[in-house]
Amino acid sequence: MTTSSSVSPTAAHLHLSPRQATAVHAILRRYRGKGSAYLLPCLHDVQAITGWLDADLAAQIAESLDIPAVQVHNVIEFYALFYDHPVGRTIVRVCDDLACYLAGSEAIVRACAAHLGLDPEHGGTTADGAFTLEIHPCLGRCEQAPFLMIGDEAHGFVRPEQVPALLGGEA
Amino acid sequence: MTYQPVLTARLGKIDPASLQDYEAAGGFQALARAVELGPKAIVELLREAYLLGRGGAAFPAGIKWKAVSEAPAPKYVIANADESEPGTFKDRILMEGDPFALVEAMLIAAFAVGAEQGYIYIRGEYPQAIARVQHAVNTCYNAGYLGRNILGAGFHFDLEVRKGAGAYICGEETALFESIEGKRGFPRLKPPFPTECGLFGRPTVINNVETLLCVLPLVLRGLDWFKSIGPEKSPGPKLYCLSGRVHRPGLVEAPMGTTLRTLIYDYGGGVSGSGELGGVLLGGAAGVFVTPEHLDVSLDFAGLRTIDAVLGSGVVMVFDTSVDMKAVLRRIARFFRHESCGKCYPCQLGTQRQHEIVERLAAGRLRSGDLLALREIGQTMRDASICGLGQTASGAILSAIDRFGFDEHTGRFLRFDSNW
Ligand SMILES: Cc1cc2nc3c(=O)[nH]c(=O)nc-3n(C[C@H](O)[C@H](O)[C@H](O)COP(=O)(O)O)c2cc1C
Ligand code: SF4
Ligand code: FES
Repeated sequence: MTTSSSVSPTAAHLHLSPRQATAVHAILRRYRGKGSAYLLPCLHDVQAITGWLDADLAAQIAESLDIPAVQVHNVIEFYALFYDHPVGRTIVRVCDDLACYLAGSEAIVRACAAHLGLDPEHGGTTADGAFTLEIHPCLGRCEQAPFLMIGDEAHGFVRPEQVPALLGGEA
Repeated sequence: MTYQPVLTARLGKIDPASLQDYEAAGGFQALARAVELGPKAIVELLREAYLLGRGGAAFPAGIKWKAVSEAPAPKYVIANADESEPGTFKDRILMEGDPFALVEAMLIAAFAVGAEQGYIYIRGEYPQAIARVQHAVNTCYNAGYLGRNILGAGFHFDLEVRKGAGAYICGEETALFESIEGKRGFPRLKPPFPTECGLFGRPTVINNVETLLCVLPLVLRGLDWFKSIGPEKSPGPKLYCLSGRVHRPGLVEAPMGTTLRTLIYDYGGGVSGSGELGGVLLGGAAGVFVTPEHLDVSLDFAGLRTIDAVLGSGVVMVFDTSVDMKAVLRRIARFFRHESCGKCYPCQLGTQRQHEIVERLAAGRLRSGDLLALREIGQTMRDASICGLGQTASGAILSAIDRFGFDEHTGRFLRFDSNW
């Protein structure tokens, strides 16, 4: 993979394809008027289509649920799984917490960062927008340490030399 | 080891997507028995069994259930499946392998306390557990186990799966309510307690997944069986999350009060790495370190109090003498700094300062007064933080410094002999 830098979050706007826009509208219709208690489910559903949530989407979500826009912003900002800036199409979460550290997670983090051309301290997003690398607290798979997730896929007992094959290019 | 596992008995033996498999393996017999017993008797059974919460705080479940059973409707039951304590993986394994059991346990809880709505709040980083529990819920609706007039017994229960969004603090029960309500996960001041004013301001039972699953064998096998397992003051089966430097890490179901020695050497196959035990982290990042001198202490809520330790969520993480303890403490300090929600200053500032000092400690650049400051910060967080996160954020770090012989002059932990 070629060297890459982080995608700049400044002044970023989502550009939805027509298909994405239709899907988002369907979701917003489903949540119409449902109120605050459906904010997290709604954010999850929308972000599953769009990858991240810009100010415009946040405003539409607020309007659909009939809640204050500031609440939607605060919630997006609070939770690590909601993104208010562009992220890669696939999120790679490498656990670097205690049990994984004991099983060699530092080498896994380095291998991932090297393969993606990213900073091993903080991760980041590849220039082609394919991957975001996150150095993650315990992912609840300590019995399979060292552990990482590629999107929703779980990979336990990872060895550094497996990393290139696991991450590959993008399919 | 004559103990017969009950919480994990079906794992790997049934198809987690199959209601038929679940029923064939004894599923929904506890619900049928619960309906025969009636709500009052179930609550009484829980109280007499002295089932202590398995999520960390070890509060008697029967007391919560009784309070909510006597409170006015509407009320709620919630399964806390946010499992984010570092080192904890038990609830995930239960949900992935036996998801109908959680639905059945929620039904019994709802029936016992008179709730008609429930939530299972599952950690967002558990996609497979979410999918399987959601499938179990959908299947139960189709089969008439959820919805209106369940089992023809005239009670109604709706159950919703909620997906967390990557915040450790949302495992704290009141932060979890806020999260379901669509807000940031800021803990509420207590009192009022959830049994009185919980989700949407209504009386709420919230229990850990493992606590709930303990109810199934308790209802089926009865009080005497339950009390025959483990110590009198905290009876019942227990899941231990064994990880770190052992030959066979994994989930262990054993009687409450099993010793560290049994866990590490019988279940875990002994210490790996240098082969020599350096210490054990009990209870996760929010827990404390203990030393090899503690190998024969009973791992139950009361037994651990005698050595100033906690069982917490059942984390047993093993460290051999070759581990770089500084790298371990850096991660613990970093964790709390990141996960502090920032609602109260003792914790927001304390976790930051603690992290800075631990980074200096790890880099061999401690300043004079740093260790004293670390203790004072810990004390302030323990005494003045709103919630358990801040109250426990210094415990593991300070216990390592005290119990592993940190030498300020050499910058080494005497018990861990690697050569930094
Ligand atoms: C910071 C923090 C995180 C917590 N995380 C969890 C968790 O992930 N799962 C859990 O069951 N309890 C967690 N708890 C404990 C809950 O607040 C609560 O005590 C528990 O859900 C009650 O259930 P139990 O009595 O069955 O253990 C956490 C507490 C704190 C302070
Ligand atoms: S103790 Fe920490 S996590 Fe808890 S409310 Fe205060 S700042 Fe938030
Ligand atoms: S420490 Fe890596 S999954 Fe728990």
